[in-house]
Amino acid sequence: MKKTFITVVSMLLVLVLLAACGNSNTQSSSGSEAQGNNSGEKVYKVAYIARAQSDSFAAWLANAVKEEAKKYPNIKLEVFDGQASDDKENSMIENAITNKFDLVIVQPNNGEAQRPYVEKVINAGIFAITTNARISGIEGASTVDADPYEQAGVNARAALDQIPQNAKVVVLNGPSGNFHADKRRESWQKEFFDKRPDVQIVGEQIANWNKDEAMKYMEDWVQANDKIDAVVSMNDNMAAGALEAVKDNAKYSGMLAYGVDGTAEAFQLIKEGKMTSTCLQNAFELAEKLLDTSNKLLTGVEKQIDTDIGNPLITKDNVDEYIELLEKAEALK
Amino acid sequence: MKDNMNWSLFWSTFKKTYSIYLVLLALFIVCSFANPNFLSVNNLTNISTQLAVTTILAFGQTILIISGMLDLSAGSVLALSGVFAVSAYKSTGSFTVAIVTGIVTGVVCNVVNAVMVSTFKTPPFIATLAMLTMARGVALLFTKGQNILQLEDFTILGQGSIGFIPIPVLFLIAFAIITWYLLRHTKFGRSLFAVGGNEEAAAASGINVSKVKYSAFIINGIFVGVAGILFMSRVNAGLPNGAINYEFTALTAAIIGGTSFSGGIGSAGGTLAGAFIVGFLDNIMNLTNVDSYMQQIIRGAIIALAVIYDIRSKNRRTKNTLGRIEDKSGKSGKSGGRRGEPIQEIAKGPH
Amino acid sequence: MEQSIKLRVSQIEKSFPGVKALDKIDFTVKKGSVHVLCGENGAGKSTLMKIINGIHQPDGGQIFIDEKPVKIGSPIQARNLGISMIFQELNYVPEMTVEENIFLGNLPANRFGKVDWKQVRQRTTELLRAENLPYSPTTLLKDLTVSDIQMLEIMKAISYKSDIIIMDEPTSAITHEEVDKMFVKIRELQARGVSIIYISHKLDEIFQIADEITVFRDGTVVESHPREELDIETVISLMVGRKLTNTYPKEEVEIGDTLLKVENLSGAGGYRNVSFHVRKGEMVGFAGLIGAGRTEVMRSLFGLDPIASGHVYIKGRKVTIKNVEQSIKNGMVMLSEDRRRYGIIPMRSVKENTTLSSLKSVFYRFRHHGKVEQDIVSDMFQKMRVKTPSMDTVIASLSGGNQQKVLLAKWMILGPDILILDEPTRGIDVGAKFEIYKLMTELVKEGKVVIMVSSELPELLGMCDRIYVMAKGTITGEISRGDFSQEQIMKYATGSITSNEVNRIER
Repeated sequence: MKKTFITVVSMLLVLVLLAACGNSNTQSSSGSEAQGNNSGEKVYKVAYIARAQSDSFAAWLANAVKEEAKKYPNIKLEVFDGQASDDKENSMIENAITNKFDLVIVQPNNGEAQRPYVEKVINAGIFAITTNARISGIEGASTVDADPYEQAGVNARAALDQIPQNAKVVVLNGPSGNFHADKRRESWQKEFFDKRPDVQIVGEQIANWNKDEAMKYMEDWVQANDKIDAVVSMNDNMAAGALEAVKDNAKYSGMLAYGVDGTAEAFQLIKEGKMTSTCLQNAFELAEKLLDTSNKLLTGVEKQIDTDIGNPLITKDNVDEYIELLEKAEALK
Repeated sequence: MKDNMNWSLFWSTFKKTYSIYLVLLALFIVCSFANPNFLSVNNLTNISTQLAVTTILAFGQTILIISGMLDLSAGSVLALSGVFAVSAYKSTGSFTVAIVTGIVTGVVCNVVNAVMVSTFKTPPFIATLAMLTMARGVALLFTKGQNILQLEDFTILGQGSIGFIPIPVLFLIAFAIITWYLLRHTKFGRSLFAVGGNEEAAAASGINVSKVKYSAFIINGIFVGVAGILFMSRVNAGLPNGAINYEFTALTAAIIGGTSFSGGIGSAGGTLAGAFIVGFLDNIMNLTNVDSYMQQIIRGAIIALAVIYDIRSKNRRTKNTLGRIEDKSGKSGKSGGRRGEPIQEIAKGPH
Repeated sequence: MEQSIKLRVSQIEKSFPGVKALDKIDFTVKKGSVHVLCGENGAGKSTLMKIINGIHQPDGGQIFIDEKPVKIGSPIQARNLGISMIFQELNYVPEMTVEENIFLGNLPANRFGKVDWKQVRQRTTELLRAENLPYSPTTLLKDLTVSDIQMLEIMKAISYKSDIIIMDEPTSAITHEEVDKMFVKIRELQARGVSIIYISHKLDEIFQIADEITVFRDGTVVESHPREELDIETVISLMVGRKLTNTYPKEEVEIGDTLLKVENLSGAGGYRNVSFHVRKGEMVGFAGLIGAGRTEVMRSLFGLDPIASGHVYIKGRKVTIKNVEQSIKNGMVMLSEDRRRYGIIPMRSVKENTTLSSLKSVFYRFRHHGKVEQDIVSDMFQKMRVKTPSMDTVIASLSGGNQQKVLLAKWMILGPDILILDEPTRGIDVGAKFEIYKLMTELVKEGKVVIMVSSELPELLGMCDRIYVMAKGTITGEISRGDFSQEQIMKYATGSITSNEVNRIER
């Protein structure tokens, strides 16, 4: 009786594992099937090494890159997950070299940690592109990126006029040590806080990009302060969390809130007039440019490319066209 | 002279049982003076609401730790249950379906934990560590790493109130009572203490150890599932990345509340008090805008203090309440070779 | 030969909350003598020894070594003063080697903390050779026997150049032969001028080894005499404070039908074809050397270990017992030999430990009935004379004898028909032993049966109606009360002969 039970359970476990493996197989091969028919033309092997599939923007970008790659019959793309670890990501870059990929796209977990490995890629005679965020100054490596400083900067410059005199603001930061988190905060400092000494920061915490953590901090700040004029958040998730905490509180209906990323939730909040602005980091645009750049490098049109996507500021005025854009791309479900 | 002794005996028992509540009370008073906003009804309601999710997890952990186990997968399974519940709600619009989905998900994951721990004899630490990674992976795979948005009315569970009491707080109270009842008023509760205190002795006393372990995990699964629903409802999103490290917050509450990591000791009231001690501290640090890094240091120090206190009071207990003991038995705390400790006593010898 | 005084304690006092453990103790140990401490558990012997070894600090009084006052703040200070203690139940790491164990906490190291393993090896080899021990410095402890490790502990004490060695029941887990070996060692040490403080419950041993005997009772020294002035009866009466008229309270009980019958039982524990039966009102003993398979048979019978083949009949009905629950349902319970491992839940209260097997009688109608539990337990405790400060005292803080009584109480609540006792009196004091014997007698008078596994022949001979003897996993002999003789049992136990009766059964 007990033995049967154990057997059944083990078999179930194995089945689940097999099913999971089967799944991932079909996913990675889906790109290659598309160009299977186009025999004759040379097919290039491209590795896309994502920072972490568990990070929602990184996941979006990886999916976008996968989709975009289907448009290129001469490119066979494989996606790897760096699991938010320098170690893992570095060894994946090394693996890509060993497995003789023709081009390696690296979305670094931490730019400086991956720099020597990207240099290895170049030295092995393989094309390299770094993206989101770029690792600049590697001889022979191309870069495609959105500039995190600028992403926050467009918000900060708009805020200069929007945030009232002697305002009280709270700041929500990403994990410290994260390139985007640090750059965005730096941008707010230089573009806004240094120019507006009258503004007082009444609360500043690390909410790790998370909605739930931001929500909790905001709830506490609301208790400690009789008014908060603006939420300065380094990403949209945290801004949404802060807004969630005060959504039924009439006193805060006029509060300003800034984010970065351009998530679907942020667009919704901007449309409803709850959030002030965000900057779209458009994964589709990034993916488009990445594949375009890859194609150009592989087919020998150019040797090195450095390019940026735009940093559009999204406000109530233009949010609809971006919602449309994203809806078209099926990002909003 | 004799009275004196009774008094000291009384005091040591009193201290053992109620010291955690005294600490909570003291902290409450200190916080009230530290910041005038602390004592407002709004703020206190706020703290309770914020604590609901992790404290419900902490009750599950308490049950597991008492029986000599633990659940590192709680945060991940919470996210998975929550994400499943949210999508169930979005596709059916039914609260019942959503809640059942969330709870079943929690239970299924924990049955897998129990199979690993009880049937395959994997150490709970490793078994639930595996589940931590797996459950998070499934949640991310299912949502493709994206947040599920626009929960509409589903937020009522996490954001609504009945009268002036927020619904999460009602859940918190209900689960505190359930846990207290389970531990104090059921055979199952008593068996938990026995299994955690000395598994072999419990088995030799006619307790079905495997059944106790399975039940403990299943109950934990229900708790985690409900916590997942509340969490997602409160943040108004299905966050596959939500509740990271919540298991540690929950474990912290349980430990500070006097649940002993060597098993066999713990209570619902202690864990509740432990959770509120952490909650008060977090809150007062945010109210007074203590630096993020400093907060981490302070939180760590509190855990260290709680554990030191746990160990010291345990030592004192064996020395103290001895009655007239030559405490060769005092060593027994260490004995029993639970959890695969390689230490044996000679007395067992090669019989 | 006038011996100088090596250790003297004067007016030592020590209180724990709620109890005075030691009250103005005076006590001296002469150089090069063996001083035995005896007394019931809880009399204060171990507390005093822990004070001398620096584990506890006295509330008052003074300790003198070589007539100079000393303060002993920790076991390390004690070691530096030449005092070593060998504990009754040793904790050791099975994967450690002999040399690592000997120098544990005392490794010779250079300035930078680098251990001088060469020196360790050399000194260990010397010690082993000097003590005539036949194993190498790199042997793992798990490969040694209990007595070997005990010897090792003694060697460790010697390696510290101790001149006072405290031994707390060193023979509680080793065989007679090994005891003799150890006594030779003690004599050697004594000849070198080392003073030995020896704690034991085994009175026959005490009279073999002691130069002087001090008896403790209730935290005071009752009397202290050279061995020649004492005899066993006197010591016992000093210990318990009263004369025990009858060491074994055996009563004649009418014996009825067969209640338990075991046929050709074999199991993975290394026993085979074990057959025996027990009749109503009977007390049956199981004798044999350690490792003969007695415990294994009983564990299987009780459902703790699986049975490979064979049949068990209770009240004439064939029963299948695969776990303890089933055993309890069939009215059979067992008190394990290893109280700490299979008996107590150390950090829980005596109350909870008592009702652990009868939870149904305190948890019903959807709640816990505290009053009912209180009544059941206090009833039992009165009957069994369990001494505990309160019902909520953690069981680990009771003396061994009282713990054992609590565990017995746990089973008595169930009113079992068959009670298996595996070494029920190991490590408990004379008074508690006597009470446990009385309990056993009560039980058989009620028409129940008691099966007692014991390594102490006198108690088997004193209490049992019949004795089965086991050797190497099978029953080699069966003797009825009329024919009891120690010699006969030893012959069966060593496997040198097998009784006709047993042969008949086996055929």
